[in-house]
Amino acid sequence: MIEALRKKAEELLKNKTVDVVYGYGEGSVPERTRPVFITKPEDVNKLTWNKYCVYNLTTYLKKQESRKLGKPAIVVKGCDAKTITVLIKESQIKREDIYIIGVTCTGIGDPPATKCKACDVNTPLIYDELIGEKIENKEFSFEERYAELDEYEKLSEQEKWDFWQKQFEKCIKCYACSSICPLCFCDRCIVDKNQPQWIDPSAHPRGNLSWNVTRAYHLAGRCINCEECQRVCPADIPLNLLNKKLAKETEKNFKYRSGYNVDDELAMATYKEDDNQDFIK
Amino acid sequence: MEKTLKKEKFNSLITGLKDKGYKTIAPKKDNNLITLCEIQEADEIHFDHVQTNNSIKEYFLPKTEKILSYTIEKTKVSIEEPEGFAVKSVVFGSRPCDAASLPIMDKVFNWDCTDKFWIERREAITIVTIACDKCDSYCFCTSVGLAPDAKQGSDVLLTKISDDEYLVETETEKGEGLIKELETVFSEPPSGTPDRQVATVEKKFEIDKVKPWLDENFVHKIWAEFSTKCIGCGACTFVCPTCHCFDIVDECTMSKGDRVKNWDGCQFKMFTLHTSGHNPRSTQDQRWRQRIMHKFKYYVEKFDNILCVGCGRCSRVCPADMNISEMLEIISTDEGQPEPVSKE
Repeated sequence: MIEALRKKAEELLKNKTVDVVYGYGEGSVPERTRPVFITKPEDVNKLTWNKYCVYNLTTYLKKQESRKLGKPAIVVKGCDAKTITVLIKESQIKREDIYIIGVTCTGIGDPPATKCKACDVNTPLIYDELIGEKIENKEFSFEERYAELDEYEKLSEQEKWDFWQKQFEKCIKCYACSSICPLCFCDRCIVDKNQPQWIDPSAHPRGNLSWNVTRAYHLAGRCINCEECQRVCPADIPLNLLNKKLAKETEKNFKYRSGYNVDDELAMATYKEDDNQDFIK
Repeated sequence: MEKTLKKEKFNSLITGLKDKGYKTIAPKKDNNLITLCEIQEADEIHFDHVQTNNSIKEYFLPKTEKILSYTIEKTKVSIEEPEGFAVKSVVFGSRPCDAASLPIMDKVFNWDCTDKFWIERREAITIVTIACDKCDSYCFCTSVGLAPDAKQGSDVLLTKISDDEYLVETETEKGEGLIKELETVFSEPPSGTPDRQVATVEKKFEIDKVKPWLDENFVHKIWAEFSTKCIGCGACTFVCPTCHCFDIVDECTMSKGDRVKNWDGCQFKMFTLHTSGHNPRSTQDQRWRQRIMHKFKYYVEKFDNILCVGCGRCSRVCPADMNISEMLEIISTDEGQPEPVSKE
């Protein structure tokens, strides 16, 4: 698989189909990989593929430093590929401006990431070239998809509040969660706006609550569950629990799952008369 | 002063500290994190780790702190200054690298403006360090002139000499005072040379070669090459025991407010954004360069100290696997290499 990946990257660079390949390279330690940006065909041996390829490299589509390397080919797993669908829908990229190297994946991380448990995109839904043998994508029921919320949803309102108070207390406001998120692409985040100051920049309970809740809300109906925010959080806050809960509510109320179909209308940017409105009180 | 401390005495030590009015801060495991935090019992202390996730910094420079409150009336402004922020405490079981960060940062907090918040906390807190008996591949204290049993910044240094016993060495008067206060907990020093169980931390680069290279290479292709993967968050600076930049904000209504000091970091693009909209560090490579330059050139020139203790936290925590010691290895071996890093 690595060989096929390198060969494809080499071909794309040699033919000048793309200027740069965003891929995975060897990391500091064997249990880590790191994003690499290959611009020369002779460097394709720096590309690798293994279970530690956790990154959702589509986040580099929003960064000027990587974008200035030119037209990218981007290595994506099934989960990451869903981001591209959202970015196209939200007019952040044009399909023809990127080359998608999809890789089939049976799970990443050690222990495996939570998102891999009910993965229905072992084979990416969108790609130009597929590396690895095509895997028949599984189907899961609504309950199975959101099983990780079972324990959380059993908590009372007060218990949920206490749980999040305790979690957010740890937040150090490093903004790794939003910096890594490929869908947090606003050039100026609401947290950076201070006239008026919508969110207290201080890492105190009020500031941490308003930041973390706002971040999650801005991803409602958009988050594709790559879990990158949770992976990078230096304070070990289970951020994806919030994202997942919002995804569940979106699906329940609007029959919408983010990143699955480029023809679907966006849940939060589309008005329909028959939308479920019971929850508006 | 030399003593020994048996592991079985940790309970009496922590209770003793409590009785003498000390708050105890020690490594504690909570889920996936090992955090230096307030503890009540010796049982809560976690020993078997390389490094805590947070650094000792937050007990001297908290992530957020009120520096004054104000009320605005028609003809006057009243200001109320906070009190009681420096609490008599002991940090127990921090690592030598963390302790070494404190005297380095004393220099900046006692510079043109003396920072009472830092200084009063420094006076109120006693540092009891435990020398490292293990390390990982991110550790590089020996490359920045320190060691897994370095004494800088510690009031008391504990070094494991057997599975259940530590050698206790006092380094300052404050440390000596603490040992005397809790005399009964400690035993007399061992006869003969004790077998100090100290980790072997591999030396990764020659620090002497770093600054001369930085002096010459403000403009260099490697800054961008190395940092394309950097996502521009503040994780590295916030977990760093020596990064000390902060921002001052007013949290206020029309008539009253709090002036708050918050951690800030040079890796954020907002950090240097001017009111005009101009940003002198507009790209991530410039921000990454700033981090390296500040630690290994500017601070050295100003305060004669490297602003890095080799704890490796920034590299462990980096969402994109940026590795600072790898960067320094490249820098320190650039000259004379068969294929030197090309200059722009």
